Amino acid sequence: MKTKKAKKKITSRDKAEFLWGWLFILPTMAGLIILNIIPIFQTIYQSFFKTGAFGRGYVFIGLDNYKRLFADTAVWQALLNTLKYAVIEVPFSIAIAIVLAVMLNQKMRGRSIYRMIYFMPMVCAPAAVAMVWRWLYNSEFGLLNHMLNAIGLPKVNWVSDPKIAIISVAVVGIWSVIGYNMVLFLAGLQEIPKDYYEAAEIDGANAVTQFFKITLPLISPTMFFVVITRVIASLQVFDSIFMMVDQSSPALPKTQSLVYLFYRYAFVENNKGYGSTIIVLLLAIIMVITVFQMKAQKKWVHYN
Amino acid sequence: MNWKKVSAVMLVAVMTASLAACGGSGSDSKDSSDKQESQDTGKALTVAIWDSNQEPGLRQIMDDFTDETGIEVDIQVTPWKDYWTMLEAAATGGSMPDVFWMHSDQIGTYAEYDDILLNLSDKIKESDKIDLSKYPENLVKIYQNADGDQLAVPKDLDTCAVWYNKKMFDEAGIDYPTADWTWDDFREVAKKLTKDDGSQYGVAIKPGSYQESWYSTIYAYGGEVLTADKKKSGFDEPKTIEAMEVIENIIKDGSMPDYNVVSENETTALMEAGTVAMTFQGSWAIPELAENDYVKENCDIAPLPKGPEGTKSIYNGLGWAASANSENTEGAWKLIEYLGSKEAQQKQAELGVTMSAYEGTSDAWANSHPEFNMQVYLDMREDAQAYPSSKNTQVWFQMMKDKMVDGFSGAKPMKDVCEDIAVEMNKFLAEE
Amino acid sequence: MKKTEKWKKMIKHVCLIIGAVIMLVPFAWMILTAFKTKSEATQMNPFIIFPSQWRTEAFSNVIRKMDFIKLYINTLLMIFGRIVCAVLTATTAGYAFGRLKFKGRDLCFSLVLFQMMVPVQIFIIPQYLMVSKMGMLNTIFSLIFPGLVTAFGTFLMRQAFMGLPKDLEEAARLDGCNIGQTFLYVMMPLTKSSMVALGIFTALFGYKDLMWPLVANTNQQSMPLASALAKLQGQFSSNYPELMAGSLIACIPMLVLYLLFQKQFIEGIATSGGKL
Repeated sequence: MKTKKAKKKITSRDKAEFLWGWLFILPTMAGLIILNIIPIFQTIYQSFFKTGAFGRGYVFIGLDNYKRLFADTAVWQALLNTLKYAVIEVPFSIAIAIVLAVMLNQKMRGRSIYRMIYFMPMVCAPAAVAMVWRWLYNSEFGLLNHMLNAIGLPKVNWVSDPKIAIISVAVVGIWSVIGYNMVLFLAGLQEIPKDYYEAAEIDGANAVTQFFKITLPLISPTMFFVVITRVIASLQVFDSIFMMVDQSSPALPKTQSLVYLFYRYAFVENNKGYGSTIIVLLLAIIMVITVFQMKAQKKWVHYN
Repeated sequence: MNWKKVSAVMLVAVMTASLAACGGSGSDSKDSSDKQESQDTGKALTVAIWDSNQEPGLRQIMDDFTDETGIEVDIQVTPWKDYWTMLEAAATGGSMPDVFWMHSDQIGTYAEYDDILLNLSDKIKESDKIDLSKYPENLVKIYQNADGDQLAVPKDLDTCAVWYNKKMFDEAGIDYPTADWTWDDFREVAKKLTKDDGSQYGVAIKPGSYQESWYSTIYAYGGEVLTADKKKSGFDEPKTIEAMEVIENIIKDGSMPDYNVVSENETTALMEAGTVAMTFQGSWAIPELAENDYVKENCDIAPLPKGPEGTKSIYNGLGWAASANSENTEGAWKLIEYLGSKEAQQKQAELGVTMSAYEGTSDAWANSHPEFNMQVYLDMREDAQAYPSSKNTQVWFQMMKDKMVDGFSGAKPMKDVCEDIAVEMNKFLAEE
Repeated sequence: MKKTEKWKKMIKHVCLIIGAVIMLVPFAWMILTAFKTKSEATQMNPFIIFPSQWRTEAFSNVIRKMDFIKLYINTLLMIFGRIVCAVLTATTAGYAFGRLKFKGRDLCFSLVLFQMMVPVQIFIIPQYLMVSKMGMLNTIFSLIFPGLVTAFGTFLMRQAFMGLPKDLEEAARLDGCNIGQTFLYVMMPLTKSSMVALGIFTALFGYKDLMWPLVANTNQQSMPLASALAKLQGQFSSNYPELMAGSLIACIPMLVLYLLFQKQFIEGIATSGGKL
C-alpha cells in the first residue's frame, strides 16, 4: 500500500476491509475454534492431570507429567527419530516433486498419463502400501534382499536394524508424498505466465537458468506452503511406522516417533494425561520451527 | 465463476445438508416400522465385535435369536485396533452399542464405574438359561467387578498348543510329540530340527506372543507372572526366571532364526513359509492356519511341552457385556442370555466360530477341521492356567513386551530382564 | 542441435518411466493379490508373484459382502460435502488473510496454523462427543463434520491469493467494485488451479480418513469406503485378496475424479497469462 497511514484516521477503505475481512473469516474461525482450538486446549489441560478412562477420575498432578517427560529418554530419542525422519523426507520429496512438476508442465507425450501415475500412490489403500513395503523390506523374504543376494551382496535389515530403519521408513514417506507435492507445484506453476519463459528464451537462458531465475522465485509462495505443511506433517509421522515396524522390533526405540509414543500412551495404555504432555512438547517444537519459517519467508518468498 | 454457478453450488450444498439430515433419521424410521409394535423392542439391537472372521457364524446365531424373540440384531464390526477407541468414546459420550465383546485386558477399566456396564447378576440369578457354574470358574471371575457383580457372560474359550511340521520331523527321523513331552525334550527336538545352512529352524517365539508361548512356560515351572493377589509381579521369583532361562537356552542353542527375522514376521507366516518346524499358537490362529495350503499338507497340532508343574496352557475367553445406558436393556439382556445358553454355545462351536465357554459344547468345534488334531486344544483345558490380568493390565504388559525384546534378541540376559520387569511392574501395580 | 534435443528427451522419458514403475509397484501388487487365494497372498517362501490361477472370487465375495453402492454414495456425499465446505470457507478466508488488512488478522491466522500443528488423533474424541451430543452419529453429517472448516485449505488459498499481482485490487476498485465483488469476479477466478488442488486434497483426505468413521459411523448403513474395507483386516489374519479387491474397486472413483479435474490444470495457463 502506497498511501501513508495517518495515526488515527480510519478511512472508509479500512472500515470496508475490516468488515469484509471479518465476514470472510468468520465461518472458518468459528469452525476452527469449536472443532479444533478448544480440543487443543483441552489436550493441554489434560497434560496436568492423571487421567482416568471415560473422561472421569482426573486427578490434578501439576507438573508431574512434565517432570516425567523430561526424564524420559524414550521421548527424547523419539524426538530425535522424528527430526531425522523430517530431515530426510522433506527435502527429498520436495526436490523430486518440483523437478517432476516442471517436467510435466511442458507439452510432452504421455504427460497426462505420467501425471496420473505419479499421483496414484495417494489413492492407494494405506493397508496395501504398508503390506507392499513391509514385504519389500523383509529381511528374509523380501524383494530387495533377494535382489541383493542375486548380485552377491549381503542382506540388509531394512526395518529391524536400529541404525537404518528410520531411513527406510522415510523412503516410504518420500514415495507417498511426491504425488501430493507434485499436484501443488503444478497448481503453482499454472500461475506463472508463459511470456516470462519466452522472454528468457529470447535472451538466451537455458532450461536450468530459467528454472532457478524464473520458476523458483515465482513459485515461492507455493513452495513456502509445501515446505511448511510438509515439515509439520512429517514431524507428526505415525502411520507408516506403526504399520511397518513391529512392536517387538529391535529397531523400534530408534524409530518410533513422538506421535507414535503419544498414540501408545493415549490410546493403548489409556494414559491420556501423559500422552497430552507429549503433544504439548510436539506442539511447542512445531510452533518454534513454524515461527522461524514464517520470519524467514521475507528472505526468500517472492510475493508479487 | 458467476452468480449462477455460486448459487447452484449453494443450492446443492443445502440439498446435501438436508439429504444428510434425512439420511440419518430415514434409515431409523424404516427399521422401526419393520419391528413388532412392542415397547422396548422397537429398534434393532446393536452388537459390536472386532473379528470379521466370526461374523458369519454369529450372524446365524443372531438370526435364530430373532426368529425366537422377534428382536432384530445389527452386528457392527470395528477392527481390533480401533475397537477400544470406539468403545471408550462411546462410553464417554453415553452412546455405547447395546451388546459388545469384552476382553480380560480391558474389563478392569470398564468395571471401575457402575454406570458403564450393565450389572447382570440379578438377571443371571433369575435366568434358567444361564448357569455360571457351567463356565470355567476363572473366566467367570475375570468378568466380575470388585463387588462380585457379574458384568459379562463368558462367550468362548481359547487355549494354546504347539503346531509342528510333520514333514520336517519325518525327514529328521524324530517321533511326533506325545502328551508327555517335556521342555527338555522340546529343546532337544528344536536343536535337531535346526539345519546348519539356516534354511530351517526348530522353533520361533516372539516376545509379544507371550500368551501362547512363554507364559505357559513360566507356570509350567512353578513361577508366575502376577501373584495370586495381583499385587506384585512374579517376574523376580526364581522359578519364573528359571522358566525364562529355558527359553533363553533354546535361543542360545541357535534353534531360533535371527531375531530380526522373528520380529519382522508373524510365527504363522514363518510356519507357512516352511522356515520353522514348530511354533506356539492359540486356538484363535486356526482360521489363518487352517486355510493355508502348505500347512494343510504338512502340519499338525501337538500338546504344549510339560514342565515340573504340568503344561499350564494359558486360557482366556471373551465375554458378552451390555451397556448400562442402553435404551433397551431388556432386549440386550435377552440377547446375552441367549448367546450364553447351551444351545447358542453349541452352535457357535459347531459352526467352527471358536471353542465355546459352556461346558461340553466344544466337541463339535474340534471336528471343524478334520485334517488337524484340534482335540489337543480341548485337552489343554485339563491342566490350564487362567490368563493373568490385573485392573490396569494394559500398562504393565506393554512395558513387559518392550523389555522382553532384549531377552529374546540376546541384548541382555533373561535374569536381568526379568528383574527389570518386576521392578517396573511393581511400580505400576502399586498405583492400581 | 537436434541430436542433443533427442537425447535430452530420451533421458527425460527414461527417468519418468523408472519413476513411474517405482510408483506403481504397490498397485501391481494390489492387482495381483486380488486374483490370488488367501494362502497364495500371504505366502512368503517362495514368494508368489503371479497367481497360479486368476481367480475372481475375491471380487465377487467382496461385492457380495459389501454394499458398494451404499458405500460409494456415503463416501461421495461425504467428499462432496467436505469439498463444498472447504471451497466456500477456505477461499473467502484465504482471500481475507492474504489480501485484506484488518485488525486481528494475524492473530486469527496464527490460530489457523496452530490447528495444523497437532496430530489429528487428538480431535477424535472431542469431536465425537460433539456429534454424539447433537445426536448426529452415523449420519453423513458426522462424516462431513471434521471437514466443515479446513485450516490446511485456508492456508493454501492464502498463499494462492498472495501470489497474485499486487495491483489487481486497485484496478478493480477503479472499476467501481467493492471488496466482495473484487473477490468474486476478479481474484477468485485467478486461483482456479489452487481451488482444484484444494478440492482434490479435500476429497483425498476424506476418502482416506479411517479412524474418524470407525469411531463415529459404526452403523453399516452409514459407513464410508475406508472403514468398511478396514473390517476385512481381522485381528489375527487378514483376507488380503478381498481387501485388495475391495480397495481396487474403491479407488476407481478417486482416480476418475482426479482425471476429470486434471484437465483444469492444463487450462490454467491461458487464464492467468491473459489477465496480465
